[in-house]
Amino acid sequence: MTMKRPYQITAVVFILFSAFIARESLELKFYTSLGPGPGFFPFWLSVFLGLLALNMLYQATFKPQDPMPADFFADAKGYMKMGAILLALVATVLFMEFLGFRLTMLLFYLFLLFALGRQNVLVTLAVALGGSWGVYHVFVEYLKVPLPVGIFGF
Amino acid sequence: MESLALLGHGFTIALQPTNLLFAVMGCVLGTIIGVLPGVGPAAGTAILIPVTFVLDPTPAIIMLSAIYYGAMYGGTITSVLINTPGEAASAITCLEGYEMAKRGRAGAALSIAAIGSFIGGSIATMGLVILALPLTALALKFGPPEFFALMVLGLSLVTGLAAKSMTRALMSAVFGLLIAMVGIDPVMGAPRFNFGITDLLDGFEFVPVVMGIFGISEILLNAESEVRGVFDTKMSTLIPTKKDLKDSVGAILRGTGIGFFLGLIPGVGAVVPTFISYVAEKKVNPNPKEGWGNGVIQGVAGPETANNAYANAALIPLFTLGIPGSPTIAILMGAFMMNGLIPGPFLFKEHADFVWAVIASLYVGNLILVILNLPLIPLWVALLKVPYSILFSLILGFCILGSYSLNSSVFEVGTMIAFGVIGYLFKKLDFPLAPVALTLILGPLMERGLRQSLEISRGDFSIFFTRPIALGLLIIAALFVFSATFRVVSQLRGGDTQL
Repeated sequence: MTMKRPYQITAVVFILFSAFIARESLELKFYTSLGPGPGFFPFWLSVFLGLLALNMLYQATFKPQDPMPADFFADAKGYMKMGAILLALVATVLFMEFLGFRLTMLLFYLFLLFALGRQNVLVTLAVALGGSWGVYHVFVEYLKVPLPVGIFGF
Repeated sequence: MESLALLGHGFTIALQPTNLLFAVMGCVLGTIIGVLPGVGPAAGTAILIPVTFVLDPTPAIIMLSAIYYGAMYGGTITSVLINTPGEAASAITCLEGYEMAKRGRAGAALSIAAIGSFIGGSIATMGLVILALPLTALALKFGPPEFFALMVLGLSLVTGLAAKSMTRALMSAVFGLLIAMVGIDPVMGAPRFNFGITDLLDGFEFVPVVMGIFGISEILLNAESEVRGVFDTKMSTLIPTKKDLKDSVGAILRGTGIGFFLGLIPGVGAVVPTFISYVAEKKVNPNPKEGWGNGVIQGVAGPETANNAYANAALIPLFTLGIPGSPTIAILMGAFMMNGLIPGPFLFKEHADFVWAVIASLYVGNLILVILNLPLIPLWVALLKVPYSILFSLILGFCILGSYSLNSSVFEVGTMIAFGVIGYLFKKLDFPLAPVALTLILGPLMERGLRQSLEISRGDFSIFFTRPIALGLLIIAALFVFSATFRVVSQLRGGDTQL
């Protein structure tokens, strides 16, 4: 198995991305009486990116490719862990302002410590409480950095 | 002489208790980053930028600089003790350092590495002191066309040296430039690519982007692979023998020279000087008593010295010309800019106290690393025993906290996650991240340089070809890109398929 297909897909994504940026750039002022406008630089950059991506597509399609590294795809366990991390991060974004920093981070740590490798219950609780209530106390009380308070008042 | 007087004044600021405290904290945090396999200097520095949010610019930059070179040193510890480099530049140290540790000479290896790092770092900093004012004086003669040409040169060096593939390196660079275009246009003040999202009017914040690209992506990669060494090395005394010291003198001096000169060239990266130093030591002493690969102390002394000399010398183009030569230095430059300071010649003119205090702190930091790190080795070893699940959870929690506290907005956390996924994909597909970090920082400055130049010339591009310095810099940049492209094309013809 070679890197042919991943590089072809990547090249196509970049071609579409550059076409989108070029179109958006042309909606901005391209040139003014003072010289180049806000659309000038991004337009030419997107054209250049598109040409590079076309070259990548050509090379990937018509030239021999490197073999795919053994670790290019992770095993199921690896993807589960990655998925757990991304899920925890996205959930934090969604719930931080609704549940507040402390409760969100408590759940974040409890979930991740369970998902990434189970630890002693006391260690898990200590890390989760320290990373949520402890950090909140230090940042809000001592460093005067505001952190969100949720609907439950904490 | 003027430089020495200014440096002396810098010491009076750097040695103030508060600044000293933050230098110590930076060294400790940097060493921790270096020790932890899977968290490189760029990721670590990016993750720790928020620690400095509440500080004044001088202690903030002193601390971040200390984190940077602390991380360069910290990587050695795991290379020697568990045969796992904490960061890429320490990979070569595994060859001889781990063999020394297996023979009960871990203490000697770490001590020589610390001494070499101190000497290499200090001499390179002296280079910065000597070169700072002449280079600054030259750069002060630059107008917008020269600055634009200089940035093109810096970018071409980093792009050309960063990757096996010129195409992918250039794509990374252009991608970074396009990301930097988001937000208010720097010349006319018109909003660009914000798609109606008010959070994007100021563009993507630098910190969440680099935290994502370097930090989150590394954690995702580590989570899917999970490789971990087990520490079972016995430690002897930390004091090297007289023979160790005698054997290492030449290697340390050669390592200093190699690291210093390569540090001046943007884009070389910290790994190259260490490998060159190792090869140089093998050439100088082809048949040591122990045999190469069996714990030759010169194989630790040379590369480790080169590593720290490089790290300090790489600050010279940043401080004097405003050109970052590596992702970590680009992140450091971002931290400068967040504090309202633009690295380059005007920094020496307008913020002399600050810049000389930071330079003086480099000496102080190098000394702190020697004094602090050797007695703390048991602590670093204990750190390696913390399970990855706890370590990663805490780092991720810190990333959330850092990106949120930037603007008290979850939008920044979302930005960090999105760029974390992009960084992960880039690493998987072998797109270099150095050009992304660099262009993210240089993008707005480059665009301003280009557009101001064209305003001066009323849209005439010949302004770049009629001014000798700008023309010279652009010719060097073009030659470099062509030679790098030619190299890749030759490889392709030879059957080496690097896109």
